[in-house]
Amino acid sequence: MTVIKTFCKNQQFKRTLAEYRENLYRIAYSWCHNPALADDLVQETLAKALKNSSQLRDLATMKAWLYRILSNCWRDHFRRSRETVDIDDIVLVDGDTPDLRNDRQQIIHRVRNAIARLPNGQRQVITLVDLEGCSYIEVAQILDVPIGTVMSRLSRARKALKELLLQAELPRDRKVHQLRSV
Amino acid sequence: MSNNDISDERLNAFIDDELDALEKSEVFEALEAERELSQQVCELRQLSELVRHAYDTPPAIEQYRPQHTKRINPWGAAAAASLLLGIGATLGWVGHQPPEPVDVPRLNAMYWDKEHAFQNSDLAAIAQNPDSRKIIVHLNTSSGPKFEQALATAEQLLETYADSDKGAEIEVVANASAVKMLRAGFTPYSQRVSDLQERYINLTFLACKDAMDHIRELENDQGEVQLLPGVDVTPSALEHILNRLSDGWMYINV
Repeated sequence: MTVIKTFCKNQQFKRTLAEYRENLYRIAYSWCHNPALADDLVQETLAKALKNSSQLRDLATMKAWLYRILSNCWRDHFRRSRETVDIDDIVLVDGDTPDLRNDRQQIIHRVRNAIARLPNGQRQVITLVDLEGCSYIEVAQILDVPIGTVMSRLSRARKALKELLLQAELPRDRKVHQLRSV
Repeated sequence: MSNNDISDERLNAFIDDELDALEKSEVFEALEAERELSQQVCELRQLSELVRHAYDTPPAIEQYRPQHTKRINPWGAAAAASLLLGIGATLGWVGHQPPEPVDVPRLNAMYWDKEHAFQNSDLAAIAQNPDSRKIIVHLNTSSGPKFEQALATAEQLLETYADSDKGAEIEVVANASAVKMLRAGFTPYSQRVSDLQERYINLTFLACKDAMDHIRELENDQGEVQLLPGVDVTPSALEHILNRLSDGWMYINV
Protein backbone atom coordinates (compact mmCIF):
# COMPACT_ATOMS: atom_id res chain seq x y z
CA MET A 1 0.00 0.00 0.00
CA THR A 2 2.86 2.38 0.79
CA VAL A 3 4.28 1.84 -2.69
CA ILE A 4 0.92 2.62 -4.31
CA LYS A 5 0.51 5.71 -2.14
CA THR A 6 3.98 6.92 -3.06
CA PHE A 7 3.28 6.24 -6.75
CA CYS A 8 0.01 8.20 -6.63
CA LYS A 9 1.68 11.02 -4.78
CA ASN A 10 4.42 11.18 -7.39
CA GLN A 11 1.90 11.20 -10.23
CA GLN A 12 -0.03 13.98 -8.58
CA PHE A 13 3.17 15.90 -7.97
CA LYS A 14 4.13 15.69 -11.63
CA ARG A 15 0.66 16.66 -12.77
CA THR A 16 0.58 19.68 -10.47
CA LEU A 17 4.08 20.59 -11.55
CA ALA A 18 3.03 20.59 -15.20
CA GLU A 19 0.03 22.77 -14.34
CA TYR A 20 2.30 25.40 -12.83
CA ARG A 21 4.54 25.61 -15.87
CA GLU A 22 2.57 28.39 -17.54
CA ASN A 23 2.41 30.48 -14.36
CA LEU A 24 6.11 30.00 -13.75
CA TYR A 25 6.90 31.11 -17.29
CA ARG A 26 4.73 34.20 -16.95
CA ILE A 27 6.31 35.27 -13.68
CA ALA A 28 9.83 34.49 -14.96
CA TYR A 29 9.13 36.55 -18.06
CA SER A 30 7.87 39.45 -15.93
CA TRP A 31 11.16 39.36 -14.02
CA CYS A 32 13.59 39.12 -16.92
CA HIS A 33 11.53 40.22 -19.96
CA ASN A 34 13.41 37.75 -22.09
CA PRO A 35 11.39 34.78 -23.41
CA ALA A 36 14.33 32.45 -23.94
CA LEU A 37 15.84 33.19 -20.54
CA ALA A 38 12.43 32.87 -18.88
CA ASP A 39 12.01 29.46 -20.46
CA ASP A 40 15.49 28.42 -19.29
CA LEU A 41 14.66 29.54 -15.76
CA VAL A 42 11.41 27.58 -15.78
CA GLN A 43 13.10 24.45 -17.06
CA GLU A 44 15.76 24.73 -14.38
CA THR A 45 13.06 25.29 -11.78
CA LEU A 46 11.11 22.22 -12.91
CA ALA A 47 14.25 20.10 -12.97
CA LYS A 48 15.16 21.17 -9.44
CA ALA A 49 11.59 20.62 -8.27
CA LEU A 50 11.61 17.08 -9.64
CA LYS A 51 14.99 16.36 -8.14
CA ASN A 52 14.00 17.69 -4.73
CA SER A 53 10.39 16.56 -4.71
CA SER A 54 10.93 14.70 -1.44
CA GLN A 55 11.49 18.05 0.31
CA LEU A 56 7.90 19.07 -0.37
CA ARG A 57 5.80 17.67 2.45
CA ASP A 58 2.47 19.18 1.51
CA LEU A 59 1.24 19.71 -2.05
CA ALA A 60 -0.80 22.66 -0.80
CA THR A 61 2.41 24.62 -0.33
CA MET A 62 3.72 23.75 -3.78
CA LYS A 63 3.02 27.17 -5.27
CA ALA A 64 5.24 29.08 -2.82
CA TRP A 65 7.83 26.30 -2.97
CA LEU A 66 8.07 26.48 -6.77
CA TYR A 67 8.25 30.27 -6.87
CA ARG A 68 10.98 30.16 -4.28
CA ILE A 69 13.01 27.77 -6.44
CA LEU A 70 12.40 30.03 -9.43
CA SER A 71 13.50 33.09 -7.47
CA ASN A 72 16.69 31.28 -6.45
CA CYS A 73 17.34 30.26 -10.06
CA TRP A 74 16.87 33.86 -11.18
CA ARG A 75 19.30 35.11 -8.54
CA ASP A 76 21.80 32.32 -9.26
CA HIS A 77 21.69 33.22 -12.92
CA PHE A 78 23.09 36.65 -12.14
CA ARG A 79 25.54 35.32 -9.60
CA ARG A 80 26.98 33.04 -12.25
CA SER A 81 27.01 35.42 -15.17
CA ARG A 82 27.40 38.88 -13.70
CA GLU A 83 29.12 38.51 -10.40
CA THR A 84 30.10 42.17 -10.18
CA VAL A 85 26.66 43.58 -10.94
CA ASP A 86 24.01 44.02 -8.29
CA ILE A 87 20.79 42.49 -9.58
CA ASP A 88 18.91 45.61 -8.45
CA ASP A 89 21.16 47.83 -10.55
CA ILE A 90 20.45 46.10 -13.83
CA VAL A 91 18.39 48.09 -16.27
CA LEU A 92 16.70 45.68 -18.60
CA VAL A 93 17.12 46.21 -22.32
CA ASP A 94 14.30 48.03 -24.00
CA GLY A 95 14.80 46.53 -27.43
CA ASP A 96 12.66 46.94 -30.49
CA THR A 97 10.51 43.90 -30.98
CA PRO A 98 8.20 43.97 -33.97
CA ASP A 99 5.48 42.11 -32.13
CA LEU A 100 5.08 44.97 -29.67
CA ARG A 101 4.44 47.65 -32.21
CA ASN A 102 0.78 47.49 -32.95
CA ASP A 103 -1.68 49.75 -31.22
CA ARG A 104 -3.26 47.12 -29.05
CA GLN A 105 0.03 46.27 -27.50
CA GLN A 106 1.32 49.75 -26.93
CA ILE A 107 -0.12 49.93 -23.46
CA ILE A 108 1.22 46.46 -22.65
CA HIS A 109 4.62 47.53 -23.88
CA ARG A 110 4.51 50.65 -21.71
CA VAL A 111 3.51 48.78 -18.57
CA ARG A 112 6.14 46.10 -19.16
CA ASN A 113 8.77 48.79 -19.63
CA ALA A 114 7.68 50.46 -16.42
CA ILE A 115 7.90 47.14 -14.57
CA ALA A 116 11.31 46.49 -16.12
CA ARG A 117 12.54 49.79 -14.71
CA LEU A 118 11.71 48.83 -11.14
CA PRO A 119 14.51 47.47 -8.95
CA ASN A 120 14.47 43.68 -9.01
CA GLY A 121 13.18 43.33 -5.44
CA GLN A 122 10.19 45.57 -6.12
CA ARG A 123 9.55 43.92 -9.48
CA GLN A 124 9.44 40.48 -7.90
CA VAL A 125 7.06 41.55 -5.15
CA ILE A 126 4.58 43.38 -7.36
CA THR A 127 4.44 40.60 -9.95
CA LEU A 128 4.00 37.88 -7.34
CA VAL A 129 1.15 39.82 -5.74
CA ASP A 130 -0.59 41.11 -8.85
CA LEU A 131 0.05 38.33 -11.37
CA GLU A 132 0.02 35.27 -9.20
CA GLY A 133 -2.21 36.51 -6.42
CA CYS A 134 0.30 35.54 -3.74
CA SER A 135 -0.43 36.70 -0.21
CA TYR A 136 2.12 38.88 1.53
CA ILE A 137 3.14 35.96 3.72
CA GLU A 138 3.69 33.76 0.69
CA VAL A 139 5.81 36.45 -0.97
CA ALA A 140 7.86 36.81 2.21
CA GLN A 141 8.49 33.05 2.19
CA ILE A 142 9.28 32.95 -1.52
CA LEU A 143 11.78 35.79 -1.40
CA ASP A 144 12.98 35.01 2.11
CA VAL A 145 12.42 38.55 3.38
CA PRO A 146 10.37 39.91 6.30
CA ILE A 147 6.74 40.73 5.58
CA GLY A 148 7.45 44.40 6.37
CA THR A 149 9.93 44.41 3.49
CA VAL A 150 7.30 42.93 1.19
CA MET A 151 4.88 45.71 2.15
CA SER A 152 7.37 48.52 1.74
CA ARG A 153 8.66 47.16 -1.60
CA LEU A 154 5.13 46.82 -2.89
CA SER A 155 4.25 50.32 -1.79
CA ARG A 156 7.35 51.77 -3.44
CA ALA A 157 6.76 49.74 -6.61
CA ARG A 158 3.20 50.97 -7.01
CA LYS A 159 4.22 54.53 -6.25
CA ALA A 160 6.86 54.34 -8.99
CA LEU A 161 4.41 52.77 -11.44
CA LYS A 162 1.89 55.47 -10.66
CA GLU A 163 4.41 58.12 -11.59
CA LEU A 164 5.44 56.27 -14.72
CA LEU A 165 2.02 55.27 -15.96
CA LEU A 166 -0.82 57.26 -14.46
CA GLN A 167 0.80 60.66 -14.23
CA ALA A 168 2.63 60.42 -17.54
CA GLU A 169 1.27 60.18 -21.03
CA LEU A 170 -1.81 58.02 -20.60
CA PRO A 171 -4.98 59.96 -19.86
CA ARG A 172 -6.71 58.04 -17.09
CA ASP A 173 -10.13 57.69 -18.69
CA ARG A 174 -8.72 56.59 -22.03
CA LYS A 175 -6.58 53.95 -20.40
CA VAL A 176 -9.45 52.40 -18.48
CA HIS A 177 -11.48 52.34 -21.67
CA GLN A 178 -8.65 50.61 -23.55
CA LEU A 179 -8.27 48.06 -20.84
CA ARG A 180 -11.91 47.13 -20.94
CA SER A 181 -12.00 46.95 -24.69
CA VAL A 182 -9.30 44.27 -24.89
CA MET B 1 0.46 59.40 -0.34
CA SER B 2 -0.83 58.84 3.16
CA ASN B 3 -3.81 60.58 4.69
CA ASN B 4 -5.25 60.36 8.19
CA ASP B 5 -3.50 57.46 9.87
CA ILE B 6 -3.61 55.31 6.78
CA SER B 7 -0.11 54.64 5.53
CA ASP B 8 0.73 53.75 1.95
CA GLU B 9 1.53 50.20 3.03
CA ARG B 10 -1.83 49.84 4.74
CA LEU B 11 -3.69 51.20 1.74
CA ASN B 12 -1.92 48.65 -0.46
CA ALA B 13 -2.76 45.90 2.01
CA PHE B 14 -6.37 47.05 1.82
CA ILE B 15 -6.61 46.61 -1.94
CA ASP B 16 -4.77 43.29 -1.71
CA ASP B 17 -7.24 42.02 0.88
CA GLU B 18 -4.54 41.58 3.49
CA LEU B 19 -6.29 43.38 6.35
CA ASP B 20 -8.45 41.84 9.05
CA ALA B 21 -12.05 42.98 9.60
CA LEU B 22 -11.22 45.68 12.15
CA GLU B 23 -8.44 47.17 10.03
CA LYS B 24 -10.71 47.14 6.99
CA SER B 25 -13.39 49.03 8.90
CA GLU B 26 -10.87 51.71 9.81
CA VAL B 27 -9.88 52.12 6.19
CA PHE B 28 -13.51 52.26 5.05
CA GLU B 29 -14.17 55.01 7.60
CA ALA B 30 -11.17 56.95 6.36
CA LEU B 31 -12.32 56.49 2.76
CA GLU B 32 -15.68 57.98 3.56
CA ALA B 33 -14.06 60.93 5.27
CA GLU B 34 -11.54 61.69 2.54
CA ARG B 35 -12.27 61.74 -1.12
CA GLU B 36 -8.59 61.95 -1.98
CA LEU B 37 -7.98 58.67 -0.23
CA SER B 38 -10.71 57.02 -2.32
CA GLN B 39 -8.98 58.33 -5.39
CA GLN B 40 -5.73 56.74 -4.23
CA VAL B 41 -7.45 53.41 -3.73
CA CYS B 42 -8.88 53.63 -7.25
CA GLU B 43 -5.44 54.36 -8.67
CA LEU B 44 -3.87 51.45 -6.81
CA ARG B 45 -6.55 49.09 -8.12
CA GLN B 46 -6.06 50.49 -11.58
CA LEU B 47 -2.31 49.85 -11.39
CA SER B 48 -2.87 46.34 -10.18
CA GLU B 49 -5.20 45.74 -13.13
CA LEU B 50 -2.67 47.21 -15.53
CA VAL B 51 0.06 44.88 -14.30
CA ARG B 52 -2.20 41.86 -14.75
CA HIS B 53 -3.21 43.04 -18.18
CA ALA B 54 0.40 43.54 -19.29
CA TYR B 55 1.28 39.90 -18.65
CA ASP B 56 -1.98 38.22 -19.59
CA THR B 57 -0.32 36.87 -22.68
CA PRO B 58 3.45 36.63 -22.38
CA PRO B 59 5.35 35.78 -25.58
CA ALA B 60 4.83 32.14 -26.55
CA ILE B 61 8.12 30.42 -26.05
CA GLU B 62 7.79 28.18 -29.10
CA GLN B 63 7.82 31.30 -31.26
CA TYR B 64 11.25 32.07 -29.95
CA ARG B 65 12.73 28.66 -30.51
CA PRO B 66 11.97 27.83 -34.14
CA GLN B 67 12.81 24.23 -34.91
CA HIS B 68 12.06 23.96 -38.63
CA THR B 69 12.24 27.43 -40.08
CA LYS B 70 13.16 27.05 -43.72
CA ARG B 71 12.68 30.63 -44.71
CA ILE B 72 12.30 33.91 -42.91
CA ASN B 73 8.74 35.07 -42.56
CA PRO B 74 7.63 38.14 -40.58
CA TRP B 75 6.44 36.19 -37.54
CA GLY B 76 9.45 33.95 -37.54
CA ALA B 77 11.65 36.99 -37.88
CA ALA B 78 9.90 38.69 -34.99
CA ALA B 79 10.24 35.61 -32.85
CA ALA B 80 13.88 35.06 -33.64
CA ALA B 81 14.53 38.76 -33.30
CA SER B 82 13.26 38.73 -29.75
CA LEU B 83 15.35 35.69 -29.07
CA LEU B 84 18.37 37.54 -30.38
CA LEU B 85 17.71 40.36 -27.95
CA GLY B 86 17.95 37.91 -25.13
CA ILE B 87 20.89 35.96 -26.33
CA GLY B 88 23.34 38.09 -24.38
CA ALA B 89 21.81 37.00 -21.14
CA THR B 90 21.44 33.43 -22.33
CA LEU B 91 25.10 33.29 -23.26
CA GLY B 92 25.96 34.02 -19.68
CA TRP B 93 23.67 31.18 -18.68
CA VAL B 94 25.32 28.57 -20.81
CA GLY B 95 28.73 30.03 -21.05
CA HIS B 96 30.62 28.58 -18.13
CA GLN B 97 33.34 26.85 -19.97
CA PRO B 98 36.96 26.06 -19.31
CA PRO B 99 39.46 28.86 -20.00
CA GLU B 100 39.97 29.52 -23.69
CA PRO B 101 43.27 30.04 -25.49
CA VAL B 102 44.74 33.41 -24.66
CA ASP B 103 44.46 34.73 -28.20
CA VAL B 104 40.69 34.32 -28.33
CA PRO B 105 38.30 36.70 -26.58
CA ARG B 106 36.12 35.28 -23.83
CA LEU B 107 32.82 35.35 -25.65
CA ASN B 108 30.51 32.72 -26.99
CA ALA B 109 29.09 32.66 -30.46
CA MET B 110 25.93 31.23 -31.95
CA TYR B 111 24.88 30.06 -35.37
CA TRP B 112 21.91 28.54 -37.10
CA ASP B 113 22.06 24.88 -37.93
CA LYS B 114 20.45 23.46 -41.05
CA GLU B 115 17.03 23.69 -39.50
CA HIS B 116 17.57 27.28 -38.35
CA ALA B 117 17.78 26.32 -34.71
CA PHE B 118 20.37 28.19 -32.67
CA GLN B 119 23.49 26.30 -31.67
CA ASN B 120 26.20 27.46 -29.29
CA SER B 121 29.80 27.63 -30.25
CA ASP B 122 32.82 29.48 -28.96
CA LEU B 123 35.40 31.67 -30.55
CA ALA B 124 38.07 29.02 -30.21
CA ALA B 125 35.96 26.79 -32.47
CA ILE B 126 35.58 29.62 -34.95
CA ALA B 127 39.33 29.98 -35.11
CA GLN B 128 39.61 26.32 -36.11
CA ASN B 129 36.99 26.53 -38.83
CA PRO B 130 37.83 28.44 -42.01
CA ASP B 131 34.17 28.42 -43.05
CA SER B 132 33.05 30.37 -40.02
CA ARG B 133 35.00 33.54 -40.49
CA LYS B 134 32.03 35.70 -41.26
CA ILE B 135 31.00 37.06 -37.94
CA ILE B 136 28.38 39.53 -36.84
CA VAL B 137 28.92 41.33 -33.54
CA HIS B 138 25.65 42.69 -32.17
CA LEU B 139 25.16 45.44 -29.62
CA ASN B 140 21.82 46.57 -28.25
CA THR B 141 22.76 48.73 -25.28
CA SER B 142 24.62 52.01 -25.04
CA SER B 143 27.13 50.67 -22.57
CA GLY B 144 30.64 52.04 -23.08
CA PRO B 145 32.41 48.97 -21.67
CA LYS B 146 30.31 46.71 -23.91
CA PHE B 147 31.10 48.78 -26.96
CA GLU B 148 34.79 48.62 -26.08
CA GLN B 149 34.45 44.87 -25.72
CA ALA B 150 32.76 44.63 -29.12
CA LEU B 151 35.55 46.62 -30.74
CA ALA B 152 38.23 44.59 -28.98
CA THR B 153 36.55 41.35 -30.03
CA ALA B 154 36.32 42.45 -33.64
CA GLU B 155 39.92 43.61 -33.63
CA GLN B 156 41.18 40.44 -32.04
CA LEU B 157 39.34 38.24 -34.54
CA LEU B 158 40.64 40.26 -37.46
CA GLU B 159 44.18 40.02 -36.09
CA THR B 160 43.79 36.27 -35.52
CA TYR B 161 42.92 35.71 -39.16
CA ALA B 162 45.19 38.37 -40.59
CA ASP B 163 47.89 35.90 -41.63
CA SER B 164 45.56 33.33 -43.17
CA ASP B 165 44.72 33.17 -46.88
CA LYS B 166 41.21 34.24 -46.24
CA GLY B 167 40.77 36.86 -43.54
CA ALA B 168 37.71 37.29 -41.38
CA GLU B 169 34.78 39.45 -42.38
CA ILE B 170 33.18 41.20 -39.46
CA GLU B 171 30.17 43.42 -39.08
CA VAL B 172 29.49 45.35 -35.89
CA VAL B 173 25.74 45.97 -35.82
CA ALA B 174 24.12 48.38 -33.39
CA ASN B 175 20.42 48.69 -32.69
CA ALA B 176 18.22 50.05 -29.88
CA SER B 177 20.22 52.41 -27.67
CA ALA B 178 23.56 51.05 -28.96
CA VAL B 179 23.15 53.29 -32.01
CA LYS B 180 24.34 56.13 -29.77
CA MET B 181 27.78 54.51 -29.78
CA LEU B 182 28.03 55.20 -33.52
CA ARG B 183 26.44 58.62 -33.41
CA ALA B 184 28.54 61.59 -34.50
CA GLY B 185 28.96 64.19 -31.79
CA PHE B 186 27.76 61.81 -29.07
CA THR B 187 30.02 58.79 -28.97
CA PRO B 188 33.36 59.03 -27.22
CA TYR B 189 34.67 56.31 -29.55
CA SER B 190 34.83 58.21 -32.84
CA GLN B 191 38.64 58.05 -33.07
CA ARG B 192 38.75 54.38 -32.11
CA VAL B 193 36.15 53.51 -34.75
CA SER B 194 37.97 55.58 -37.34
CA ASP B 195 41.29 53.85 -36.55
CA LEU B 196 39.74 50.42 -36.92
CA GLN B 197 38.02 51.36 -40.19
CA GLU B 198 41.35 52.52 -41.55
CA ARG B 199 43.23 49.41 -40.48
CA TYR B 200 40.73 46.71 -41.47
CA ILE B 201 38.98 46.74 -44.82
CA ASN B 202 36.85 43.72 -43.79
CA LEU B 203 35.33 45.49 -40.80
CA THR B 204 31.96 47.18 -41.29
CA PHE B 205 29.90 49.20 -38.84
CA LEU B 206 26.13 49.22 -39.26
CA ALA B 207 23.44 51.19 -37.45
CA CYS B 208 19.76 50.27 -37.38
CA LYS B 209 17.48 52.73 -39.19
CA ASP B 210 14.53 51.76 -36.99
CA ALA B 211 16.52 52.70 -33.89
CA MET B 212 17.68 55.96 -35.50
CA ASP B 213 14.08 56.85 -36.29
CA HIS B 214 13.12 56.05 -32.72
CA ILE B 215 15.83 58.34 -31.38
CA ARG B 216 14.64 61.08 -33.73
CA GLU B 217 11.09 60.67 -32.43
CA LEU B 218 12.29 60.85 -28.84
CA GLU B 219 14.08 64.08 -29.70
CA ASN B 220 10.88 65.60 -31.10
CA ASP B 221 11.98 65.26 -34.68
CA GLN B 222 14.89 67.66 -34.47
CA GLY B 223 16.58 66.25 -37.54
CA GLU B 224 18.25 63.07 -38.76
CA VAL B 225 20.62 61.22 -36.48
CA GLN B 226 24.13 61.78 -37.83
CA LEU B 227 26.46 58.80 -37.75
CA LEU B 228 30.23 58.62 -37.71
CA PRO B 229 31.89 58.67 -41.15
CA GLY B 230 31.89 55.30 -42.90
CA VAL B 231 29.12 53.83 -40.74
CA ASP B 232 26.46 52.17 -42.90
CA VAL B 233 22.75 52.03 -42.23
CA THR B 234 20.59 48.92 -42.37
CA PRO B 235 16.80 49.30 -42.46
CA SER B 236 16.40 46.81 -39.63
CA ALA B 237 19.30 45.43 -37.63
CA LEU B 238 17.30 42.42 -36.58
CA GLU B 239 16.36 41.49 -40.12
CA HIS B 240 19.93 42.03 -41.18
CA ILE B 241 21.17 39.69 -38.48
CA LEU B 242 18.61 37.08 -39.42
CA ASN B 243 19.67 37.29 -43.05
CA ARG B 244 23.31 36.90 -42.08
CA LEU B 245 22.50 33.92 -39.87
CA SER B 246 20.64 32.44 -42.78
CA ASP B 247 23.75 32.89 -44.90
CA GLY B 248 25.82 30.97 -42.38
CA TRP B 249 27.36 33.82 -40.40
CA MET B 250 28.32 33.39 -36.77
CA TYR B 251 26.59 35.65 -34.26
CA ILE B 252 28.04 37.20 -31.13
CA ASN B 253 26.04 39.35 -28.75
CA VAL B 254 28.15 41.60 -26.58
